[in-house]
Amino acid sequence: MHLAHLSITNFRNYVRCELDFSSPITIVQGANAQGKTNLLEAVYYLAAAESPRARSDRELINWLANEEQPPFARLEGRIEGSDAVREVSIALVNASDRLQKEIRVNGVKRRTLDLVGQMKVVLFMPEDIDLIAGSPKARRGYLDSAISQMERPYARSLHEYNRVLLQRNSLLRQLRDRPSGTHQLDFWDQRLIEEGSQLIASRLNTVAQLDELVQEIHTRLTGGEERLRLIYRCSLPLEGPEGLIQYRQLPLGGASGDGTSLAEALPSSADVSTVFRQQLAERQREEIDRGMTLVGPHRDDLRFLVGGVDMCTYGSRGQQRTIAVSLKLAEMDLIRSRTGEEPILLLDDVMSELDEDRRRYLMAAMHRDQQAIITTTDLHCFTASFLEQATVWGVQDGRIGRLA
Amino acid sequence: MRSVPRSVERLIEELNRLPGIGPKTASRLTFYLLRSPQEQVQALARAIGEMHEMVVTCSVCFNIAETSPCPICDDSQRDRTMLCVVEEPLDVLAIERIRQYDGLYHVLHGAISPIEGMGPEDLKIAELVERLGKNPVEEVILATNPSLEGESTAMYVSRQLATLGIRVTRLAQGLPMGGDLEYADEVTLTRALEGRREI
Repeated sequence: MHLAHLSITNFRNYVRCELDFSSPITIVQGANAQGKTNLLEAVYYLAAAESPRARSDRELINWLANEEQPPFARLEGRIEGSDAVREVSIALVNASDRLQKEIRVNGVKRRTLDLVGQMKVVLFMPEDIDLIAGSPKARRGYLDSAISQMERPYARSLHEYNRVLLQRNSLLRQLRDRPSGTHQLDFWDQRLIEEGSQLIASRLNTVAQLDELVQEIHTRLTGGEERLRLIYRCSLPLEGPEGLIQYRQLPLGGASGDGTSLAEALPSSADVSTVFRQQLAERQREEIDRGMTLVGPHRDDLRFLVGGVDMCTYGSRGQQRTIAVSLKLAEMDLIRSRTGEEPILLLDDVMSELDEDRRRYLMAAMHRDQQAIITTTDLHCFTASFLEQATVWGVQDGRIGRLA
Repeated sequence: MRSVPRSVERLIEELNRLPGIGPKTASRLTFYLLRSPQEQVQALARAIGEMHEMVVTCSVCFNIAETSPCPICDDSQRDRTMLCVVEEPLDVLAIERIRQYDGLYHVLHGAISPIEGMGPEDLKIAELVERLGKNPVEEVILATNPSLEGESTAMYVSRQLATLGIRVTRLAQGLPMGGDLEYADEVTLTRALEGRREI
């Protein structure tokens, strides 16, 4: 998968910018606050229709464009996939009272759900250390957007689940004040279980696959010092007391028996829904008292263990940063093996935070035919041979030009 | 200093409150009316005023009508063994337009949506149960919208009717006529496959 052309209008600090990505690796060099991250944000936005950092899409429109009527931002990209060439575009128009987002694929108006997955990207930025150190919500969000890129039904289930959850919580609060009529919950329970079980089963499957992939990556990245395990911590008691112990006793270091037993050992969405149903029945009283849904994918978490120690709580900054790199590299491998497409790698000023060995590993981990867009303040972070095969651009004040 | 007379401004404000009409459309309509012949404007004003005086909700089916019971409920030619449950009066209009159904109706006036504070007690569901208890039918067709809220309402109503021993059906869901299989979204296609039938 290759982003061949990108056109940016009034996005962040870019007024107008046309870029042709000819070689697989593009390095963008520039001082701080010139538009390096904004460029990667633009590519990511075109892939996911959401910004990795803006709180409101309104922020994305260049503030100089506010003088135009109406203010707007526009991104267009031509993506050369293995099977076809697609033109995608997103226009943000700040109409008088609300922000309109218009998504087009090959010129036809589409929904966000149809756009996600057209262009597969893996973004890595310094803030990603918060994935490890931050809140469970950030980790759930990471899993959600990662899986949505690979499985179309997942994005739809997630959207539906969130709507059901909102309605159900609202009903639970009403039932707290008026305890009669708990049978009204039946419908919402059923829909919550249907969609929620799909989400949990998909996440268990993805985390298990990432866990397997991350073993080798992380071991090599740390020179054999650390062995990393990924654990999906579910709010539903899926494993039972015995099951949990078995899981912990899996041999560390990638050898989880033969690869085939892994998928069979995981609970299916039908298994999940049985437990989900039991839990909702058992905890109905408590849920009504607290006025919220207490079990389900919205209460789950992803944890990272090294030698049995939880890195989210006890990891050093350096360890957490390395884990974030391992996780993203594993995600890249997973997209490649599941969809057969090479994801586009977006690295935002990551090199300067890594030591010499990890930098080398990261450069080596990029496939020859894989597209990568890398920003940096300092070109000395890269080896000479790596720079040779890359196109190097300089960015200054929202303008991009080729560096000599 | 006021640039337009108070009475003109008042009409603009009133029109602006209607759904789908912004300040610009409201002023355009106002000035159109200002230039229209007296009789035409009077007719419009009378029509609006009379609508509210004349229209009542039918005490049987809760559809809007000028008489209670409404012409449909009163019509002895109609099939009294079938009852169609819909969310809004406009849905009755939609079904009447196809001229394929000649049973009775029951309008719920909304759908269950906890976020908006719409519970079953805010809809005409108790009235429906009572009505069927007095005048049983052979089949109840649940024609609420295929949205989350409509589905929730259909399920709730079907539970309420379970004890009455009446056949309860739900409108089919799936592909639209003249549509293209290739462009149908996953959910619609799944529903269509589930609801397939012998030909």
